Amino acid sequence: MKFVTQDALRVWLDQLAQEVDLVAPRDVEGHVLYRPVASSAGVLFEYQRPEMSAKDYLFPATEVLLQIEQRGKEMTLEEIVPERKQVLFGLRPCDAHGAAVIDALFLQQEPVDAAYRRQRERTTMVGLACPRMWEGCFCTSVGGAPDAADHLDLLLREVDGGYAVQVVTEKGAALLAGLELQEKKGEPPPSQADGEIVPVAPPQAWRTLFEDEMWQRHGERCLSCRICTYVCPACRCFDVVDRVTSVQPGLTCSERIRVWDACTSTNYRRAAGGHNSRPTKPGRIRNRFFCKFCYYPEDFGPLGCVGCGRCIVSCPVDIDITEVMRGVAERSDG
Amino acid sequence: MSGNGSNPMRPFIGRLAGIRDVATGIRLFQVEMAETEGQAAAAGYRPGQFAFLSAFGAGEAPFGLASGRGPYLEFAVSALGHVTHTLHGLEVGDPVGVRGPLGNWFPMEEIKGRNVVILGGGIGGAPLRPVIHTILDNRDDYGHLTILWAARSPDLLVFTDEFDEWRAAPDTEFHVTVDRGDENWSGNVGLITQLLEQVAPQIDNTVTITCGPPIMIHFAFLTQQKLGFTPQQMLTTLEARMHCGIGKCGRCNMGEKFVCIDGPVFWQYEIKEFLEGFL
Amino acid sequence: MNDIGQKIRETARQLLQEGQVDCVIGYEASPRGGVRPAFIYDAGEAERLVWSTRAVHNLATYLHDKKKPARRGEAPPRVAVVVKPCDSRTINVLLAEGQIERERTTVIGVTCDGMVDESGAPLPRCVHCAERTPVVYDVLIGSPPDVDVAADDDADLAHVEALPPTERLAFWLHEFDRCIRCYACRQVCPGCYCTTCMFERDDGLWVDAGVEMPGKYIFHLGRALHLAGRCVGCDECERVCPMGLPLRLLNRRLAREVETLYGYRAGREETLAPLLFELGEEGSPI
Repeated sequence: MKFVTQDALRVWLDQLAQEVDLVAPRDVEGHVLYRPVASSAGVLFEYQRPEMSAKDYLFPATEVLLQIEQRGKEMTLEEIVPERKQVLFGLRPCDAHGAAVIDALFLQQEPVDAAYRRQRERTTMVGLACPRMWEGCFCTSVGGAPDAADHLDLLLREVDGGYAVQVVTEKGAALLAGLELQEKKGEPPPSQADGEIVPVAPPQAWRTLFEDEMWQRHGERCLSCRICTYVCPACRCFDVVDRVTSVQPGLTCSERIRVWDACTSTNYRRAAGGHNSRPTKPGRIRNRFFCKFCYYPEDFGPLGCVGCGRCIVSCPVDIDITEVMRGVAERSDG
Repeated sequence: MSGNGSNPMRPFIGRLAGIRDVATGIRLFQVEMAETEGQAAAAGYRPGQFAFLSAFGAGEAPFGLASGRGPYLEFAVSALGHVTHTLHGLEVGDPVGVRGPLGNWFPMEEIKGRNVVILGGGIGGAPLRPVIHTILDNRDDYGHLTILWAARSPDLLVFTDEFDEWRAAPDTEFHVTVDRGDENWSGNVGLITQLLEQVAPQIDNTVTITCGPPIMIHFAFLTQQKLGFTPQQMLTTLEARMHCGIGKCGRCNMGEKFVCIDGPVFWQYEIKEFLEGFL
Repeated sequence: MNDIGQKIRETARQLLQEGQVDCVIGYEASPRGGVRPAFIYDAGEAERLVWSTRAVHNLATYLHDKKKPARRGEAPPRVAVVVKPCDSRTINVLLAEGQIERERTTVIGVTCDGMVDESGAPLPRCVHCAERTPVVYDVLIGSPPDVDVAADDDADLAHVEALPPTERLAFWLHEFDRCIRCYACRQVCPGCYCTTCMFERDDGLWVDAGVEMPGKYIFHLGRALHLAGRCVGCDECERVCPMGLPLRLLNRRLAREVETLYGYRAGREETLAPLLFELGEEGSPI
């Protein structure tokens, strides 16, 4: 196996931070979050699952799509093209899996989402395997694993004295310049993939339960907040709005921004004129779960859930996606 | 394909070539595309498609295109929100943005030779105007045309300036009704569904095209079925709040279908298959 | 504790059996430990209800979902709701603001000796809480426990207030920077029930939709100000925040202001009118 010491890894990260936009897990007031870093100082190497996914760095919560200038009656529209390369370091495999889910819609369905493609192209994803599964994790139920290399460019696994490095893609290999690698005998031990296996019912089984009473039962507790969708590595709903940034005589500057949206929010389906075709909380959470396990796989291929468990641990009223999955599996069997 | 080359979220720049009121609070904007690519996109427009219209600085919103016979993309806009209010404040010559035309269209080729019943409710009549024009301009290609036009009140009837032409067209009957009349109104008063039952159009070899608010589409379908129309004879176009128009943003799904890319035009038998209703 | 649970189940069963209410909102055991909100429509389901020192949620917030009839043409449902003393003041606020009807609401008050978090530690608000009996109820379950209450020293608040203005601003900007604008604080709040929140207007009049500073800062300050004299201090906003923003600090600061200036404490009595309805011409209190 290829091996790197902790010290050599830090040297490499320090170098990367000079050359690219480097993002890594950090402790932010007691919360583990992926954050831009200027060096290896403050980068966490031992952590559980960052509370937010790394989605924000590929599909930002707020992204300027266009800069708009109006001079009199003349318009100029300029697209924002990020110049620098980006490295996401310390990704958990579920975060890369989440990116692959969004790829299936934003990149693999025509027309390609231009802003997302730019973010994706400039980014290299360096994973750090979870040594084991954490509270709420069920990645192994939905095609993932705590040490899965799929969808990453490089995967690091903690071993005695440092990390085993697995090169997954050419993009990953290209990043290795400056990383002092050694050859060592043996292979890194696999992670403890001992999480509960949650049954995943096929889309057709979900379809038979669209009118089931369980949506009422789970949905009634829902607060219509956006936590589950915002912490999710695979949720991709967005809104597009304009904001004026400056007004001078003869020159108005504005931006067209894309912001995260959430199908759980009250007015998600409110149309101009006030009609709301999904006015109830049970109807809205049903849509979220159906999107993940019925619509997304039917329309775009992959499941819309990577089993990271973030929505489970962060829901203030204990709406638990695995409880829903089990409920669907049980009911559709009967 | 919308947008500029590689980016479907970038609107084409256009210019307001004409603005006129087509009902109280509903304004028709004629847009001339300024960029070559935008002109090419606009030239591919087919009745039933929609497009996003931008008031730069306020945002963009989707509209079923109401284009007439001229060279312009035409949008009927009711001032209901921030974008539409801002649009209402624009003047001829002002720049706007257009993404589109997007979505599918009415199967005007497929329904050639058949009788057509058109039911338009309020501003829902807007995307039906190009359908009516297509039939009137190719009169021999289609059978009998029945137009049922409705609004909540007389001042909300759209395209009243074209009523005379529609009435006078060969092999065409035109009926209009309002939910509530006023002192100057001497025509029908009642719902479009009641009017449909009175008119009782021929069922055989006929296709209906309904557009209006969701509740109207719902009841119009029920009445049509009562009269004997089958789900294979009934077309509609659905509205939804959308943000991208290209199947990405998630806003407009009805179950696994997206109004923006699977529609907005649907046969009733397709809608019946949706897991989730539009109402 | 189990005794309280038993009495809640009996009460719920009786209310539903006798047709006095259509729904009982209480707590059920959560598969993840602790408890979670439960909605009981059938006397046979009342068995699900439990009581626990983890019953942190302020269930009064769900009364907003019950203001409208389930089906068009019907009357709105009659609802019984389980409340702790702090939650009970929410009932009074909602009554005063005309949000709920007293005759449609059955208040199942439960005496409280303080709630704990996952680790078993008492919640910050409970350490200093002297309210052991709900201020409004139709049924009272439990007897007021005799517990020592630590005097509220407001040390955390005092610490922030003692900072020089620039540092205080830096403190808040640093905290609000973590906000992801998930609106959980607003959604869980029984006092936040506007149909369209001023911070979510489609014209972006006050803040635009960006998940950025200073919009996040303005949102939180605006929200806190809108709850001055209305916030009962249930701390649900802080509990649900996924980013751990210290919203309790803001709320307490405003509550103290209102109490000092006007002697007003939100929801203290059933007949208390909203503070802002009662200001005299010179801004005089009640």
